[in-house]
Amino acid sequence: MKQIALVTILAAAAIALPLIIGENPYMTGILISVLMMAALSSAWNILGGYAGQYSFGHAAYFGAGAYTTLILLTNYSTLNPLICMAAGIIVASLIALITGTIVFRLRGHYFGLASIAVAEIVRLSVLNFEFTGGAQGILLSDISLWGLDLNSKNPFYYGMLLVLAVTLGITAYLRTSKTGYYLMAIREDQDAASSLGINLSFYKNKSLVISAALTSVLGSLYGLYIRFIDTSAVLDLRLSIEIILTAIIGGVGTLWGPVVGALLLVPLAEMLRSNLLGDALVKAGLVSDTSAFGIFLKENLAHAHVLVYGIITVLCILYLPKGVLGLFRRTK
Amino acid sequence: MSFLQPLLSGTLTGGVYALAGIGMSLVFGVMNISNFAHGDLMMLGMYLAYFAFTLLHIDPYLSLVLLIPTAFMFGFLLEKLFINKVINHPHQNQILLTIGLGLIMSNTALLAFTSDPKILTTSYSSSAFNLPGGISISVPLLLSFLITCVIIAMLYLFLSKTTTGMALRATSQNREAAQLMGINVAKMSAIAFGLGTALAATAGALIAPTYYIHPLVGHSFLLKAFTICVLGGLGSVVGAGVGGIIIGVVEAMSSTYLSSDWKDVVVFVLFLAVLLLRPQGLFGKKGGQS
Repeated sequence: MKQIALVTILAAAAIALPLIIGENPYMTGILISVLMMAALSSAWNILGGYAGQYSFGHAAYFGAGAYTTLILLTNYSTLNPLICMAAGIIVASLIALITGTIVFRLRGHYFGLASIAVAEIVRLSVLNFEFTGGAQGILLSDISLWGLDLNSKNPFYYGMLLVLAVTLGITAYLRTSKTGYYLMAIREDQDAASSLGINLSFYKNKSLVISAALTSVLGSLYGLYIRFIDTSAVLDLRLSIEIILTAIIGGVGTLWGPVVGALLLVPLAEMLRSNLLGDALVKAGLVSDTSAFGIFLKENLAHAHVLVYGIITVLCILYLPKGVLGLFRRTK
Repeated sequence: MSFLQPLLSGTLTGGVYALAGIGMSLVFGVMNISNFAHGDLMMLGMYLAYFAFTLLHIDPYLSLVLLIPTAFMFGFLLEKLFINKVINHPHQNQILLTIGLGLIMSNTALLAFTSDPKILTTSYSSSAFNLPGGISISVPLLLSFLITCVIIAMLYLFLSKTTTGMALRATSQNREAAQLMGINVAKMSAIAFGLGTALAATAGALIAPTYYIHPLVGHSFLLKAFTICVLGGLGSVVGAGVGGIIIGVVEAMSSTYLSSDWKDVVVFVLFLAVLLLRPQGLFGKKGGQS
């Protein structure tokens, strides 16, 4: 009962947030990034957290959604974006099924390695083919859906929020459903699960396809929102790692872990990117503005957010392997 | 006749890949860890060779004398400080830890050396032997290959003749049994990781004269090293050696007959094909399969 009340309050706050902050594209943009990363990481969590299959190539599904949608829309501008999104789901699911069929017979390190190989094949193919725009990427000029003003950011805020809600709903449902129990059994002990008659590769594939389909919807939304995509934005290994890192920091295999992770990581990345952190250090008098170190920080901190991600990953694995939520659970 | 050209140059490049693959396989065998920082360690080797050449004017091949012990110590320390803390963790955590270490290395390199690619040009960089039939062999590639052969031979002798080498192989075969026989497996892990790092850095230094040097170059080498290990059988040192040559030749062949844009795709498709058809690899023990 308490939980339902809490979720209702959270949902109401999330729905009302754009009205409270009003016309502030910068803030809305950051909120959209938070929602997107939370949803991406939650979708990954269904496979990585519950089935215990760590995918290091989720960018492939994100990119599949973004590219399918934008390629279709640039060629057939009258198409409904939702149909393009559905096409993206089909492409992403196919990639997922091919990967799953090849590697889910195997155990151990193979799925992780194969997921990267598949993501690289997708990335390099997109880069080398012509219909995908190659290294130049794809620019989408204009879109319309039901007379919504898609030049404003609010529709995308609610779109991302909806996908996040659906993803969390599926996760919550899985936790108490037969499929969810099977997945957790597979995660804990494959042999035991198998000997109880659980079809390992069927359930692993099932969770992979659900996860890939949700990820591809987010990719489509992102493509429609930014309207320019290239391989470094939507297919890079870095994106796959950010998705995992978000889940790890929040807590893998927990319902709210990915959301907590996104709330912590995305604003941090934004602060580094816009150099707010460097400015803050200078203002706090910790670093002199004119010293060599101060100048170095000012010039380079904006490029250092991946470095900071690396440091956070290492610290997190060594000292906080169960994530922030795991920390609270331990003290209980 | 043109068939021989990619075969030959592919074999020479493949030798260097084999070195990187063996390093990764050794770590995998002894510690059962997939080292995702392997490519970045190769990148560091490339920069070490580059700076030894431009700042200290030491020939990249001679600089190996300094580079190998430095890299070994670096790897040994990395293991002591970070890797051995997660040796009993689930392997996802081990992978993420090495990914994190790799990100730190590549992005520190990015800050320190900027993203401008560097090129190591020696006096013999573009010289080549011309063989009858229009085949040419690049001098730096040939030198790298010969040095690789010497290093692999030395590694073979070390692993098969010395006590430490035998202890390493015993740990690789069965960690618990090795421990029961009085082998210090923690020390073996650190030595294996040091050797793996030294081999990666050496491969980087050997490839530096014929490749562009960039902080983010490690990523493509990492995937190649994985392909080599899986092809040869995870943990098999001999397999990694053969796998390296195969990957080198496949790459050269697909550049020649397909296009150099697609060569990496061909390598990764080969990787998936191996997983599909022979997941234990060419030389691996059966048992990787579930």
